[in-house]
Amino acid sequence: MKGDAVKGERKQATRRVITLVVNEEEHALMVEDRETLLDVLRDKLFLTGTKEGCGTGECGACTVLVDGQAILACLMLAINASGKKITTIEGLAAGGKLSPLQHAFVEQGAVQCGFCSPGMILSATALLSKNPSATREEIQKALEGNICRCTGYNKIIEAIEKVRDKIS
Amino acid sequence: MTRLIGKRIPRIDGTVKVTGEAKYTVDIQLPGMLCAKVLRSPLPHARIVHIDTSRAEKMAGVKAVITGRDAWDVRHGFVETPRYPADQYVLANDRVRYLGEEVAAVAAVDEDAALAALDAIDVVYEELPAVFDLFEAMKQDAPEVHPVQVPDLDEPYKNIGGMCANSFGDVGEAFRSAYLVRKDRFESQLRTHCYLEPQATVAHYDSTGMLHVWTSSMGTFRKRMHLARALKMPESRVRVHKSWVGGAFGGKIDLFSHEFCTALLSMKTGRPVRFVAERDEIFSYFRHSQPMVIDLETAVDRQGRLLGQRARCYNSCGAYRGSGVVFIFLAWGFLVGPYRIPALDYAGYSVYTNSPVRAPQRGHGAPKVRFAVESQMDMIAEELGIDPIEIRMRNARQKGEVLPNGDSIRNAGLTECIAEAARATDFQRKYSENTRGQNEKSTVKKGIGMGVSSYFTGTLIYPNNSAAIVLFNDDGTLKLLTGALDIGQGAETVLCQIVAEELGVDMQDIRVVAADTETTPVDIGSWISGLTYVTGNAVKKAAQEVKKMLLLSAAKEFEAGPEDCELRDRRIYLKETDKSISFERAIARHIRENGGDPIIGRGNFRGLKDAAIGPSLKNAKGAWSDSYAFDAQVAEVEVDMRTGKVTVVRALTAHDCGFPLNPLLVEGQIDGQVSMAAGQATVEDVIMKNGVTLNPSFLDYKVPLATEMIESSYIDIITEQYEREGRFITKEVGEGYVSGILAAITNAVANAVGFRAKKLPLNVDSVKSFTNPGDSE
Repeated sequence: MKGDAVKGERKQATRRVITLVVNEEEHALMVEDRETLLDVLRDKLFLTGTKEGCGTGECGACTVLVDGQAILACLMLAINASGKKITTIEGLAAGGKLSPLQHAFVEQGAVQCGFCSPGMILSATALLSKNPSATREEIQKALEGNICRCTGYNKIIEAIEKVRDKIS
Repeated sequence: MTRLIGKRIPRIDGTVKVTGEAKYTVDIQLPGMLCAKVLRSPLPHARIVHIDTSRAEKMAGVKAVITGRDAWDVRHGFVETPRYPADQYVLANDRVRYLGEEVAAVAAVDEDAALAALDAIDVVYEELPAVFDLFEAMKQDAPEVHPVQVPDLDEPYKNIGGMCANSFGDVGEAFRSAYLVRKDRFESQLRTHCYLEPQATVAHYDSTGMLHVWTSSMGTFRKRMHLARALKMPESRVRVHKSWVGGAFGGKIDLFSHEFCTALLSMKTGRPVRFVAERDEIFSYFRHSQPMVIDLETAVDRQGRLLGQRARCYNSCGAYRGSGVVFIFLAWGFLVGPYRIPALDYAGYSVYTNSPVRAPQRGHGAPKVRFAVESQMDMIAEELGIDPIEIRMRNARQKGEVLPNGDSIRNAGLTECIAEAARATDFQRKYSENTRGQNEKSTVKKGIGMGVSSYFTGTLIYPNNSAAIVLFNDDGTLKLLTGALDIGQGAETVLCQIVAEELGVDMQDIRVVAADTETTPVDIGSWISGLTYVTGNAVKKAAQEVKKMLLLSAAKEFEAGPEDCELRDRRIYLKETDKSISFERAIARHIRENGGDPIIGRGNFRGLKDAAIGPSLKNAKGAWSDSYAFDAQVAEVEVDMRTGKVTVVRALTAHDCGFPLNPLLVEGQIDGQVSMAAGQATVEDVIMKNGVTLNPSFLDYKVPLATEMIESSYIDIITEQYEREGRFITKEVGEGYVSGILAAITNAVANAVGFRAKKLPLNVDSVKSFTNPGDSE
């Protein structure tokens, strides 16, 4: 169990103040060294759009952008994200307008239960910003770390291709 | 013509799900919320001698500790009937029967304190002999998992938690007169749901004595009933709120110990409490699907027509009945559904073992049964020199037939499904070409296969029925109150479509309030494949009622009859004129003239309206369902002869689901089922040894990934009757299509390499042992 490693360490935990720039807002936060970026986003900043599906870096539901890179927030310590620019799913719809990928996910039927959608959309966002003309194979490869159990990935990949075709 | 029904309408909850606004149970945060953790048995079978919680109770940050002593003597079960009384304590009482069974629970200020408290609970166990293999468990000298078993068992078996037997026709004569008899054993592995949102519950017992619950489930009303019963509370004191659900696939329907514990811990502390399961807890201790062994004996004539079958199904239901007894009952139905069988001798046994309890998973037995039947169908066809399409056409049920349980399949597009699927995939040509290719020296071989199945559309298990309320706002927009819980399939969207269609308004004009047991009417829930049919019809009736009232009010304005009026663009028109009034005006008039009635319509629906209760779990007799969906699915695979790797390249689903209300959602259901079936066929396998799960993570339990996406296509077979009158009435679409494609994949592998798998999964080891037997390492 995830908690096994931290049992009894409560008293010795080191705390420090870090600065996170999340969705273009700066936050000064007191965190313990062992806290993950995911814990801080969800429990301290209440940005619960970032999901935890496994806590061990296997499902991709916690994917966020750190300086534009798709990163698993459950595997990154918050102190290592200090000073970095973080984008969560809540930061994508600038001014209340869905990003092209968010819009395409809704329109193409790429969302079912929706639990993987935030991580999936952020992985795709990172891909298209680096490689706007990604092939189907490149899209599949980029999403390989994001598990979806509902859709079989078909409509997710179609949605991303639709956005790719528009921008490239 | 319909305006919205039958159209590709994007889901109404899409936006909140892509922005992160949608709150799932794991996202619920309440002030002062405590963290709950569960202590589990470290042994697969033991007597609990003593539990001492005093050290844990005194620890800093620990607010409450509960054990079986706090849980009265309450037992619960997926099935609670006189034949199958509830057999599981919500917290272990005197005995634990599987490794991971819940023994105690704590609530503490944070996760660390809760975990430390678990360590401080002292439990003394006296280990008992355990049994894990189902056939070992059936032997007379096996360790006894439960002191009681099925009352009417007349065979020398032990640990039988449930049995279902049903026979019809002259089976002896069928086998005596047969041209060919095949007897095979088929085995399916233990697979699991892998819903992405972990099991989670938040409970808050407030100062008025009301218990508020958020829990990741498949239906809030069923949870409320079970939870209230376990807590010995009236249902009216339990409010299960809606939260979005991150996938379920059958795995979240039962009442779980953690739900009871979270609720009781909140009652003890007066504070909100949250439990979230760790992923390895889910893999190791929560309810998975059920492995099945089928001994299937089939008699056919010279033309491959079925004369009779003998079938014995065995499953391990785990340490408690769970849904095991339903599984062996349903297996009978999945045998007799698609093909005409004149005679059948069936018995199913659900066997207790010291393993975690088993649950439904998408298809609930159908994938395993169809894997067996469809595999054998191809084997028989090959022996008789008939092609796989022809043998299916000769046996497929036709519309108007009556099933052995008395259910009528008034319309069944099965033969069209088979014919269309074969035509669209150029099946026969590819099949012959691949068969010839078996003897060629190529490293990658191609295969094509077909599987057929049928699935019922809802049956009677609590809450059996759905009700709905549709009401007008003063501005002419509408509100739909439904107990339906959207678990990802798009329930809210399709129900909204039905109201919008009836009232001639846009989707945006309707607000759906759903799944809150306090504010919405009772609902069947997102399971047993009945929601769109049962709730959909309730919603339709409610919408028709408000429409009727609105038209009456408008007709008075025109001094005409309601039949002279029609609805368009939130206005009511006098037919064949340009005279119209707004919805607002008709509503205001109705309020004024009817003592303040703002136009509220109610609707209700129950399938099998003449049946008092559901079918018998003992003998499968009694009506099951109003209608059955049918499908024929084709898989195309490639098998790498060197590595044994099976790649599912393409899938086609030709299906009769009645009328597809929203093809975008239907396609999503099909794609998901194809993917889940491919996982089951080729990789997924929960590996257990002596009660321990050896692969409790997504790294070690492999599910299909984006790189394994299968090209999926669809053919809707809409029967004449549905075309004519049933545009609102749909059939099952959410779980029946795992089965045909699972069988199709295994048949396609046989077509590619000649390897006939009788045991799932068809992983690289099993395939390689056939394709490359010399290279064993």
